[in-house]
Amino acid sequence: MANDTTLKLGRAGQAPGARTRVRGVLRGVWRDPWFIVLLLLAVPALYLRVSGTTPVAVERLWYWWPALMRGLGMNVQISLLAMAMGTLLGLVVGAISLSPLAPLRASTRAYVLVFRNAPILVLVYFTTYVFPFEVPVAHWVLPFPDWIKVVIGLALPASANVAEIFRGAVQSIPAAQWEAAHSLGFARTQIFRTVILPQCLRRMLPPWMNLYASITMSTALASLVGVHDLVDTATVASNTVARTDFTILIYFTLLALFFAYCYPISRLTRYLERRHARH
Amino acid sequence: MTHSLLEGWVAFARPLGLNYAFVLDAGERAAFVHGLWVTLQLCAASIPVSLLFGVLIAAGLTSGRAWLTRPLAAFVELTRNTPTLVQLYCAFLVLNMLISQKLEGGNPITPFMWVVLVVSLHKAVFHAEALRAGIEAVPGVTLEAARSLAFSRVEILWRVQLPLALRFALPALVNNLVDLVKMTAIASAIAVGDVTYESIMIWSQRDNVLELLLLILLYFGLLTWLVSVAGRWLESRLRMPGYGQ
Repeated sequence: MANDTTLKLGRAGQAPGARTRVRGVLRGVWRDPWFIVLLLLAVPALYLRVSGTTPVAVERLWYWWPALMRGLGMNVQISLLAMAMGTLLGLVVGAISLSPLAPLRASTRAYVLVFRNAPILVLVYFTTYVFPFEVPVAHWVLPFPDWIKVVIGLALPASANVAEIFRGAVQSIPAAQWEAAHSLGFARTQIFRTVILPQCLRRMLPPWMNLYASITMSTALASLVGVHDLVDTATVASNTVARTDFTILIYFTLLALFFAYCYPISRLTRYLERRHARH
Repeated sequence: MTHSLLEGWVAFARPLGLNYAFVLDAGERAAFVHGLWVTLQLCAASIPVSLLFGVLIAAGLTSGRAWLTRPLAAFVELTRNTPTLVQLYCAFLVLNMLISQKLEGGNPITPFMWVVLVVSLHKAVFHAEALRAGIEAVPGVTLEAARSLAFSRVEILWRVQLPLALRFALPALVNNLVDLVKMTAIASAIAVGDVTYESIMIWSQRDNVLELLLLILLYFGLLTWLVSVAGRWLESRLRMPGYGQ
C-alpha cells in the first residue's frame, strides 16, 4: 500500500514537471543570444525583399539556395547513416571489449586504438580509393557510389568512439551493483540487461550526441573526395558567380548553415549533461 | 647502403601484395620525405601557438568582464560547432583573398601559416574550455591567500591559477593535442605539401593508394603516440601530492 501511494505521488508530481521542463527549454531558446542574432538577421533580409533593393550577391545566394539545401541534405544523410553504422558496430566492439577472454579484449583495444588515432580525412581517402567503384553481386554489378564510401570512412572512427563510450559507461557503474545482483541469483546476462544497461543508456546519450555533432562536422571532408555536398556546392557556386562579395557571402553562409545544424545539438547535449549531473 | 635497405624492404613487401616501388624513385622519395617533414613542422608550429591562444582565451573567459567574455564565448561556440575545413576555407579563400586584394599581390601570409592559424585557433578553444574548468577548480581560500599577500590579478592568474589549472587540465590538453596532430591532415585541402598531399600526388601517378595510406596511418600513429607519451611524462613530472585527479 505504501508503495502505491508513493507511486501515485510520483506520477502526479511528474506530469507538471515534464510540462515546465518543456516550457523551460522553450524559454531557453528565446533567451539564447544566437536565436536573437538570427531574428535580427531576418529583419534586414525582409526589408531588402520588400523594398526590392536586394544586392546582386544576395540575389545570387537566393538563386543557389535550393542547391545548397540539397548539399546540406547530402551531409545530413551521410552523417545519419555513418552514425547508425558506427553505433551498431561500436556496440558490438564495445561488448567484445568487456569479454572475459584476454585475446578478444586485446583485439578490440587494437581496433579502437587504430581508428581513434587515424585522421578522419585519411580514413575517408582510404575508403574512397581502396574500395572499387562497383561490386559484382551474383549476376548484377551494383554501383558503389562515393558517398557510401564516405559513410564507411566516417563509420569506422565513429564505431571506435562508440565502443569507448559504451565501455566507459558500463565500467562507470559501481562493481557493487554486479555483486549485489549476483547475490540475488541473477545470471550475468540478466544483470547486464536489467540492471546495468538501463543506467548505461542514460549515461551514453550526451557523449553519443557529441560524437554525432563531430561526425556531422566531419562530413565536410566528403567534398574533398568529390561528393556533391554542401561545401562542394558552395565552392562550385563561388567559382561560377566569380564575384568577391558573393564569395565572402557564400563561405560565411556555409559556416552559418553548419552552425545552425550543430549548435542546437550541442545545446541539447549540455542540457542533458546538466540534468544527468543532478541525478 | 640506404638504397640496398630500401630495395630489401620493397622485395619484402612485394609478396604481401604491397608495392612500395616508389621509394626507389629519387624524386618521389624526396617528395614523400618532404611531406613527412612538413607535417612535423605543422605540428611543431601549431602545438605552442594553440596553447598560447588557449591560455589567452581562458584568461579572457575567466576575467569576469562582460565586454571580453561575451564575444569570446560567442567565438568559442562558433568554433566548436563548425567544421575545421569550412573555417579553413573562410580563412584561406575569403580572408586571404581580401588581404591579397588590399596589398595587391604582396601577401606575406603563406597557406602554411593559415593552416597553423586555423588549426591552432580551433584547438585553442578546446584548450580554453579545459583550462577554464581548471581555473574555476582552484579553491577560493587559495585565491584569498594570494590576495592577502598583495598579488595583483595578473600575478594571481599567472602564478597561482594557471599552474594549478594546468595540472588539472593536462589530460584534456593532451587529448586535444592528439586531435590537433590528426587535424593537420586538412592542410592537404589547400595544397600545403604535407604528407597527405604528397601521397595524393604520388598515388595519382602510380596505383599504390593502400601502401601509402598504411604509411600515413603509421606516421600519424607515431606522432600521436609521441604526444601522449610526452603528456604522460609531463603529468608525472608536475604531479603535486594531494592536488588534481
